[in-house]
Amino acid sequence: MKKIILIFVLLISINCFSQNKQILYNLTTVPQTLMTNPGSDVKYNWYFGVPLLSGISANLGSSGFSAYDLFADNGVDINVKLRDIVFSTDRKDKIAINEQIELFSGGFRIAGERNDSYVSFGMYQEFDFMAYMPTDLAILALDGNKDYMGKTFNLKDLSAKAELLSVFHLGFHKNISKKLIVGARGKIYSSIFNASSTNNSGSIYTTESSKGVYEQIIDSNFELNTSGITKYEDFNGSIAKDVIKKALLFGNLGLGIDLGFTYYPEKNIQITGSVVDIGFIRHTKEVENKTYKGSYVYEGAIPKFSTGDSSENGYEQFKDAIPFVTLYENYTTWRPLKFNSSIQYSFRDGATDCNCLNYDPDAIYNSAIGAQLFVMSTPRMPFMAFTTYYRRKIFKALQMKATYTLDSYSYKNIGLGLSTTLGPVNFYVLADNLLEYGDITKANSLSFQLGLNVIFKNSKK
Amino acid sequence: MKRFGIKKILGSALLLLIAFSCTSDLDYDQLENIKLEPVYVGNLAYFDVLANEFVTSGVEQNVKYDAPIFDLFNDAFFRKNFKKAELFFEVDNSITRAYTVDMVFLDGNKQAVHTASFFVPAYTGVVNKVTKTEVFENSQLDLLKRTINIAFTLTMLPGPALSESSPGNIKLRAGVTAYLVIE
Repeated sequence: MKKIILIFVLLISINCFSQNKQILYNLTTVPQTLMTNPGSDVKYNWYFGVPLLSGISANLGSSGFSAYDLFADNGVDINVKLRDIVFSTDRKDKIAINEQIELFSGGFRIAGERNDSYVSFGMYQEFDFMAYMPTDLAILALDGNKDYMGKTFNLKDLSAKAELLSVFHLGFHKNISKKLIVGARGKIYSSIFNASSTNNSGSIYTTESSKGVYEQIIDSNFELNTSGITKYEDFNGSIAKDVIKKALLFGNLGLGIDLGFTYYPEKNIQITGSVVDIGFIRHTKEVENKTYKGSYVYEGAIPKFSTGDSSENGYEQFKDAIPFVTLYENYTTWRPLKFNSSIQYSFRDGATDCNCLNYDPDAIYNSAIGAQLFVMSTPRMPFMAFTTYYRRKIFKALQMKATYTLDSYSYKNIGLGLSTTLGPVNFYVLADNLLEYGDITKANSLSFQLGLNVIFKNSKK
Repeated sequence: MKRFGIKKILGSALLLLIAFSCTSDLDYDQLENIKLEPVYVGNLAYFDVLANEFVTSGVEQNVKYDAPIFDLFNDAFFRKNFKKAELFFEVDNSITRAYTVDMVFLDGNKQAVHTASFFVPAYTGVVNKVTKTEVFENSQLDLLKRTINIAFTLTMLPGPALSESSPGNIKLRAGVTAYLVIE
């Protein structure tokens, strides 16, 4: 029990979320923006990311409480704090972690007769975790059922998934016209491990009865699917080497695609949209499914006086009614689908030099305001975030993007991103929830991205 | 000059945020103090015997017996975390005969670890219920946890003769309130 709580709270204490990269999105001085929209208006002759340093990102979020709420060294009994959290959150609250590290990335331009095309490619490692607050089960563990006559404890509250994978990708984007850029990216996923328990249902119900003292019904439809884990329970080899092997396409494989576009209806108005990770992973290796499925009406000991030979078999009968079964059946998981869109209005601010004959809006305008919408599929309701932003070219080598984001984690999420390009060296650092940096233990959500690239642009615009 | 100010402010702001962001003291050792104290209720036992079931081919059967399995308390989770039990019994008799109900809690060696006995008078036209609550803690509870079977003996005491058409029934409802402490 304590171990479960420990793992749970440690995950929370890392405290982050949601894969929304609202500052990186459409920040076209950074090539990694192509990972949020393969149709981004990114221009380069060629570029490569500094291996392991080109794209590091983490999103951590907990919608119901922060690490401080549980672990604050403030003299309040942890059991009181635990109760406060359980009773102040609900089943819609969630904890999520997403982490990505680019192992390598690069791209080059293919000069066309009329318009340019761009290729980009790379490999990154990703870890995803998401768990909903198992409110009803937490109440059952804290209080028991004595004071909850007639309440249906919903086992559907138990919903969690975790995955470590590597992704190989190859993308292509093309300036169809001066106004329209479209792009697509194919992906091969290699899952190192997966654990998924998101389609549970059932209930535990107790009420007073005129027959026995209570009417008690347990109905369970619980399933936990795992892949890539069982091997390590009794593994003598090097786990690190085995994980690296799985990362190099020897894991459970899947396919995916990203699609996106950028459209300029006017020189100073830009509309973008993308769908990222339309994809699945088929789990066929080291697969294990654990299930608790069945229903049981608990009546206690019932003597059969007529025969003197009761057929009830106590706890065994319960275990037969809701058996713990381990199966080895293949299964499929879908990647969290991400949808991004934005609209941006660009303008000139101040007396900057302007090459106003150039069509490239980046060359004409030094400022922009815009709005973005992010939607991500989750095991339940989609996660949504709305962002407004101000983008400013502070001087030629420095771009700044400031964001305000509204989502289920926070209504005061202010983010700031800086991207500098000194010669061919591009460095970016983006962080959100800046107001929480006063005390990050109280933050419900944090995310950051940073990276280092080498970019060569030709003189052609 | 003004723009240089903006640059300086923005750059410095980001650096300052990262450099001077602080954290409150967190104490993860508190996990050692987590203590769950849930209280669960559930059925312990139940029977409902009609008056005519005490008569077979016109002959009264005065004693009924069975010893169904009841091994919930013996489960490893309960053995470890079960700290206090309240057993509630209610016997409701609407038959015109008095009864004794004996419940003997037996361990795996068929040795009695606890006995609960009730006398229920004959029905006289008014509600005829006997209730009892027993509390178990410490060593008494440890004995109770060894229960594997409950032996029920239902004995009909002398009184007016019953027939296969006699009305009424004798009903037992028993429940348990389990106080757990999980550390």
